[in-house]
Amino acid sequence: MKDLGIEIINLHKKYDDVYAVKGIDLSIKKGEFYGLLGPNGAGKSTTINAITSLVKPTDGEVKILGKNIVSDFRYARSQIGIACQELSNDFFFPVEELLYYQAGYYGVTRKNSKQRIDYILNKLGLYEHRNKKMRMLSGGMKRRLQIAKALVHDPQILILDEPTAGVDVELRHDLWKYLNELHAEGKTILLTTHYIDEAELLCERVGIIDNGRLIVEDTVKNLKNMVNKSGIIIHTKENFPNLDTILKDFNPAINQNRIEILTKQPNLDLPKIILKLSENNIRIEDVQLPKASLEDVFLDLTGRKIND
Amino acid sequence: MISNWIGFYTLSSKEVMRFFSVWRQTIIPGVITTLLYIFVFGVALENRISEISGVSYKIYILPGLLMMNVITNATANTASSMLQMKLLQTLPELLITPLSSLELSLSFIIGGAVRGFVNGTLILLICWLAGMPINDLPLTLIAIFLVSWSFASLGLLIGQLSDSWDQLALIQNFIITPFSFLGGIFYSIKMLPAWATTISLINPIFYAINTLRYTTLGVSDADFKSSFIFLIIFTTLSTVAAVRTMHTGKKIRF
Repeated sequence: MKDLGIEIINLHKKYDDVYAVKGIDLSIKKGEFYGLLGPNGAGKSTTINAITSLVKPTDGEVKILGKNIVSDFRYARSQIGIACQELSNDFFFPVEELLYYQAGYYGVTRKNSKQRIDYILNKLGLYEHRNKKMRMLSGGMKRRLQIAKALVHDPQILILDEPTAGVDVELRHDLWKYLNELHAEGKTILLTTHYIDEAELLCERVGIIDNGRLIVEDTVKNLKNMVNKSGIIIHTKENFPNLDTILKDFNPAINQNRIEILTKQPNLDLPKIILKLSENNIRIEDVQLPKASLEDVFLDLTGRKIND
Repeated sequence: MISNWIGFYTLSSKEVMRFFSVWRQTIIPGVITTLLYIFVFGVALENRISEISGVSYKIYILPGLLMMNVITNATANTASSMLQMKLLQTLPELLITPLSSLELSLSFIIGGAVRGFVNGTLILLICWLAGMPINDLPLTLIAIFLVSWSFASLGLLIGQLSDSWDQLALIQNFIITPFSFLGGIFYSIKMLPAWATTISLINPIFYAINTLRYTTLGVSDADFKSSFIFLIIFTTLSTVAAVRTMHTGKKIRF
């Protein structure tokens, strides 16, 4: 299909005797912000490295904007920018020079890449560090340089493997803002992460990978609705010894004055619960309706927490 | 065939700039070693060792020393560049670009070949100043270039297949250095027992040294034409091997 940015068909990858990826199909539309979420070792990096041909699939096919990444490798690769998970290093050249080289590999001359490189250096806060060699950069700067390298040839598709792994909170928020800008410009973005909040905040669709398989994919909203439990948390003014008998229809978990109830229909159950409590003259301190997170989705599907 | 010309030019010039930027490590050592050899053999040992093929010993060893420098530099450049990129995680950033295996291999080889050739010509100049004749300058330069290119190719192959600096050093110490010594840097293979002479005949470094000895001093242990043809065949084979190995992606694409 021609409106697809990335298409992965039946991807398998075997290392020695173990399958790291066991048949993944993935279609990411042009201009979409897609997140691959999963625990470490789930097959996220193998999947995205297959897109850039750093990994040779055991079986399956990958297409970029409709073109096969093997037979049409020049076109496919020229449309992708990737920031790998592992930070790279270089002993020889300053930051700016490294970007000129990277642009050059994509067939962009120094003259033609100057404006773009200046723009990216500024955008990623690296301009004043442009004459430094990499050993003088902090971890956060190295991460930004890696993203700069991925963007230097102005690709249609941007792939980021754990872009905020090991960066501080401030930089993480800056990067999120910038990724949203790139998305608004129309870039197709594929991001892998094991940070739930990152996927929730940025991605239009999320695919959850576990044990080499894509176990579910949908919009963040639909995924959360899929979890058939939402919580109601109520704090009462005082401790009441017979709370569990009063609320026995709702199967509550009670800890002193804290009542936690899991329900499929919080909007309908809440009024009933409040009524029950009022009838028994139990005064309410506060009520919370915590929303389901992708963490709950993962827990629901696999029985495990994502970062365990 | 090459079609990403800008990419090809960029990587080739980066490979050349890489060793020029550390010229104290990549150019000066060869020059100093050669000067030391000339000093030690010329001043201290010259009168104790007799001439070989009518050439004084000090001069006789110079083409061999030159070739050993060319071989070491050309091999080290591609091998260490490749291995370093692997270990520092910069290789993936190169492999995802629209450069073909051929373009990648040739760019690396050009870097190594230029380093071998620059070292070779500098040392040639020193040898000439020290009194070494140069019978045929164009052929001498061609020989230095062929050897630079072929060993740069081998270095690339070795670098791609190595996982650590240890493995690289192992190949250097147990293959390149013994082959250099057995190739007749310091002696004529006519001085060796028959079995050792036979082994030398399949040693590419033997042909490298003897080709150069012929184009400079005019003496050689092997027929010049066959040596030269052997060098051309060896250069072709090593280039093909390096490009093919890059194409397989062994140990670099997983």
